[in-house]
Amino acid sequence: MQQTLQTIVSQAKQAAHSVSELAHLEDVRVQYLGKKGELTQMMKTLGKLSAQQRPKAGQMINEAKQAVQGFLSEKKQALEDALLEAQLAGETIDVTLPGRGVDMGGLHPVTRTLHRIESLFAKAGFEVETGPEIEDDWHNFEALNIPETHPARAMHDTFYFDDQTVLRTHTSGVQIRTMENREVPMRIIAPGRVYRCDSDQTHTPMFHQVEGLVVEEQASFAQLRTLIIAFLKQFFEDDQLKVRFRPSYFPFTEPSAEVDIATNLFGDGRWIEVLGCGMVHPKVLKNVGVDSEKYTGLAFGLGVERLAMLRYGVTDLRQFFENDIRFLKQFK
Amino acid sequence: MKISENWLREWVNPAWETSRLIEELSLAGLEVDGAESVAPEFTGVVVGRVLSVEKHPDADKLNVTQVDIGGEESVQIVCGASNVVAGMKACCATVGAQLPGNFKIKKAKLRGVPSNGMLCGATELGLPDDGVEGLFVLPDDAPVGVNVRDFLDLDDQVIDIDLTPNRADCLSVEGVARDIAAFADCPVTQPFSMEAVIKQGAPGQSIQVIEAEACPKYLGVMVSEYDVTATTPDWIVRRLARSGIAAKSLSVDITNYVMLELGQPMHAFDADALTGTVAVRFAEEGETLVTLDEKELKLNSDTLVIADDAGPIALAGIMGGLSTRVNDDTKRLFFECAHFAPLAITGKARQYGLHTDSSHRFERGVDVNLPERALERALQLFTACAGGKVSEIAAEIDATHLPKSPEILLRHDRIKKLLGVTLERQVVEAIFERLNFQIQLEANGWLLTPPSYRFDMAIEADLIEEVGRVFGYNNLPNEVLVAPMRLPHLPESLQEQMFIRKALVSRGYHEIITYSFVDEIRQKALFPEEEGILLKNPISDDMKAMRTSLFPGLLQTVAYNQKRQQPQLKFFEMGLVFNRQDTETRQTPMIGGAIVGPLHAVNWANDDRLVDFYDLKGDVETLLSLSHVQQQIRFEPTQLTLFHPGQAAALYQDQRLVGYMGQLHPGLAKVYGVSGKVYLFQLELDVILTQKLPMAEAISKFPEVQRDLAFVVAENLPVQALMDALNEVKSDWLKSITVFDVYRGQGIDENQKSIALTLKMQHPERTLQDEEVESLVQAYIAKAAEKVNATLR
Repeated sequence: MQQTLQTIVSQAKQAAHSVSELAHLEDVRVQYLGKKGELTQMMKTLGKLSAQQRPKAGQMINEAKQAVQGFLSEKKQALEDALLEAQLAGETIDVTLPGRGVDMGGLHPVTRTLHRIESLFAKAGFEVETGPEIEDDWHNFEALNIPETHPARAMHDTFYFDDQTVLRTHTSGVQIRTMENREVPMRIIAPGRVYRCDSDQTHTPMFHQVEGLVVEEQASFAQLRTLIIAFLKQFFEDDQLKVRFRPSYFPFTEPSAEVDIATNLFGDGRWIEVLGCGMVHPKVLKNVGVDSEKYTGLAFGLGVERLAMLRYGVTDLRQFFENDIRFLKQFK
Repeated sequence: MKISENWLREWVNPAWETSRLIEELSLAGLEVDGAESVAPEFTGVVVGRVLSVEKHPDADKLNVTQVDIGGEESVQIVCGASNVVAGMKACCATVGAQLPGNFKIKKAKLRGVPSNGMLCGATELGLPDDGVEGLFVLPDDAPVGVNVRDFLDLDDQVIDIDLTPNRADCLSVEGVARDIAAFADCPVTQPFSMEAVIKQGAPGQSIQVIEAEACPKYLGVMVSEYDVTATTPDWIVRRLARSGIAAKSLSVDITNYVMLELGQPMHAFDADALTGTVAVRFAEEGETLVTLDEKELKLNSDTLVIADDAGPIALAGIMGGLSTRVNDDTKRLFFECAHFAPLAITGKARQYGLHTDSSHRFERGVDVNLPERALERALQLFTACAGGKVSEIAAEIDATHLPKSPEILLRHDRIKKLLGVTLERQVVEAIFERLNFQIQLEANGWLLTPPSYRFDMAIEADLIEEVGRVFGYNNLPNEVLVAPMRLPHLPESLQEQMFIRKALVSRGYHEIITYSFVDEIRQKALFPEEEGILLKNPISDDMKAMRTSLFPGLLQTVAYNQKRQQPQLKFFEMGLVFNRQDTETRQTPMIGGAIVGPLHAVNWANDDRLVDFYDLKGDVETLLSLSHVQQQIRFEPTQLTLFHPGQAAALYQDQRLVGYMGQLHPGLAKVYGVSGKVYLFQLELDVILTQKLPMAEAISKFPEVQRDLAFVVAENLPVQALMDALNEVKSDWLKSITVFDVYRGQGIDENQKSIALTLKMQHPERTLQDEEVESLVQAYIAKAAEKVNATLR
């Protein structure tokens, strides 16, 4: 009997081994382990054996069945693996082809710059205020100490709708509106579009400004200077940036200054004017009902396009408003 | 204002190189725009006198000259210039001279004749073209052998100072010198003596100031019997030229010179052209004056004029008149030197389209004490050149209207408060001494009186600025702004604009910024009904109207890029639009976009279809859903001139029109020069800037029931109408109704379509019974039949 079992097992092993498809493996199983399978048949012969021989024989047959089962499982696994492998091999794709993404757009470089400026000041506690662009004479000029007869009006190249209505020439009017409507102390910035009746290579009739205003009991020109220097160094990420203040004149600040920067990053280290600033003129504070004995105000106004040009190496101001997509895509 | 550095240094000469001088001027608040050498570097060029000129034996166009250059022997120079004549003085480059362009003069032979130097023309020396063909001719009195650079004062820079309107006191050489002196702490020296010229006899010209407030000081003087052939000395011509003023005639040149030197504009009349009394008065409405530049002006009654008995002869402080101007035949000169109040002059020049050196100064202010001195200086210069008899000075002065220097209190502690620096009393006093202020000590500060030329000083802050200016802004301490920490007002309902921008960016949009003013006619083509708001002084005709929507800018940008072979475009812009509502101006923040061309860039995987209405609508819905307001907005078909009649929607929020979207009407493509199907949207920004605060609901544990229904409706029925009908059925369990198919074709009549919907229902607290669901579905079917005549497919 042992002999017979060994022969069956070795035949079964060979049969399993020679199978190359899963379906045929089942045939092998049926042949040996099925209801009429060879080992199943062997089991049925147990009854003819004596009670003494039976357990031993039974055990031998079971061991043979397990052995066959083992070959079959092994082979099944091997066949399944091979099948999956073949399937996966067939599913190979070219992973170097570009993905099926959506084309991204981009922010306008002026927006990007504005956002950077706003973020820097917002993190220092400045609140963002906005105002109308068609502005009345009071908010654009009178309240800012620029009366009708002031020669500074000629500096502004103003667009008019009628005698009392203009396109704002600066966002300083937002200062006035904010101080009229809110209690001091305050720290605000006012970004936005401004307009001057001037158009050539270095002037566009519309551009962007950020106006800043701090009104506190203790706000000094020295602090303004320190704030501006810190801002410029942060904005350009240049600790070595040279900054100089020059006395200047704005009707709404006294003292007033213009600020130049010089850096090796651009402009060959020459002085480049970037902004104007000063201490809010007492008449302006008075116009909005702020006690200029108690409070002082510091204010600054910067040209956004100017900063964007320096920061991103844009050489022609007019490109900002042509909106050539090949230009815009560079700021994605 | 341009001035010669050498001239300036005659007045004040600190031990500063030119570059330092320029830097210090800027740091003093007199911003230097630029500085330019009057001549390029060259050496070895001297004044030569041409002794003889002989024809070159072998060349027709050349001459052989002997030139005296001050040495023991004359030099022989072969010269090709046609204007060379014996006896003339010319610029002679000697052997070894280095001319501009690295051109070295050597001994040479020209066609066999030795030549030891070169006679030069203006351009060969890098000087401005004098218009003379050939040699640069020097005056007869030029000293032979002297270096031409010295003789022509060529080692000089022209400094261009951009003065702020408050610093009119620096609109002269003397004024700039005074400020430099204060900064360099060195003296100002008037480089000439101020001896009064001899005056005899009455002027023989009566004057009368009618408007004393506008003209509190008017001086006049008659000069006669002078040499009418006298010309302006070269050094004056040169200095005027370096300030950008062309020489005209002796009297005009001298008044201009004095204006540059001291800052006082003056005018000279041909006295024999005057009729009767010279008066200062306002013009009568409609009076006319032909000005020096030969323009006939119709005057307004607010214009101050100088007039004689026959009418206006000059625009006061702005420009003289043609009829009384000085000319070659003028025998007697009447010099006017006046003080006009800035308010009487401001804006008047501009009103007549004029801007003169004189109006520039009077508008900003001129030192009230200057006229006497300036007139004396002019007379001194004039008589030195042309002799003549000078009359007594006629003067009309109204002391009550002369501006007086104010006394301004400066408190010591305010310097610290405003500037942020503590300065010792004596430091402050030294500053004001250097600025020539009168100082009176007070308990807590000083009472300061500015000099008469510092008419920009009015309040304490002005004085503090002077302290800061002289102390040096850049010497202020570094002091960080300290303010109490205050948390801002931050309503959660306020959507961040950047969030909205970035949502569109990630959907492929490029942000653009376009001008707020657009072409009126092309804008009208989009919105014929809309009355635009027009600028009175547009920069050009196509930028005249304020935009009433964002569409003109978007379309212009599409056209611009399509012309540059960019087919795939998605743009958006955020900004104000301007609408007239009755008499009110509305300025509304808007967001708008335009898309055209392929949905995707050329690629291997995605389909290459063009964008359509629903692409754009999806983008708009994204914006709405970002702020959770999608449910509040209704899209309704609309008819507008600018849109395709079958592809346009109006957006409503609570019955209020808040936006549009649609395909640009193909008929309008030509107006903007765009091609392809352009889809546009515009939405009031406030709609998406106010977001709904989300409110959490419990999630039901019970199963959701889904039913699909397909309705057959009329072909032209908007889905919205079906949805509106279904929404009339009130149910607490309905979760959503979604369109999952729209079908036309086989099985459906030609003028009908099938709309397939998925209804999802769920009860929060229990499982729905089949009968409940069935009766709800029946209710929907009934409502759809009743309201929009829909049948179940």
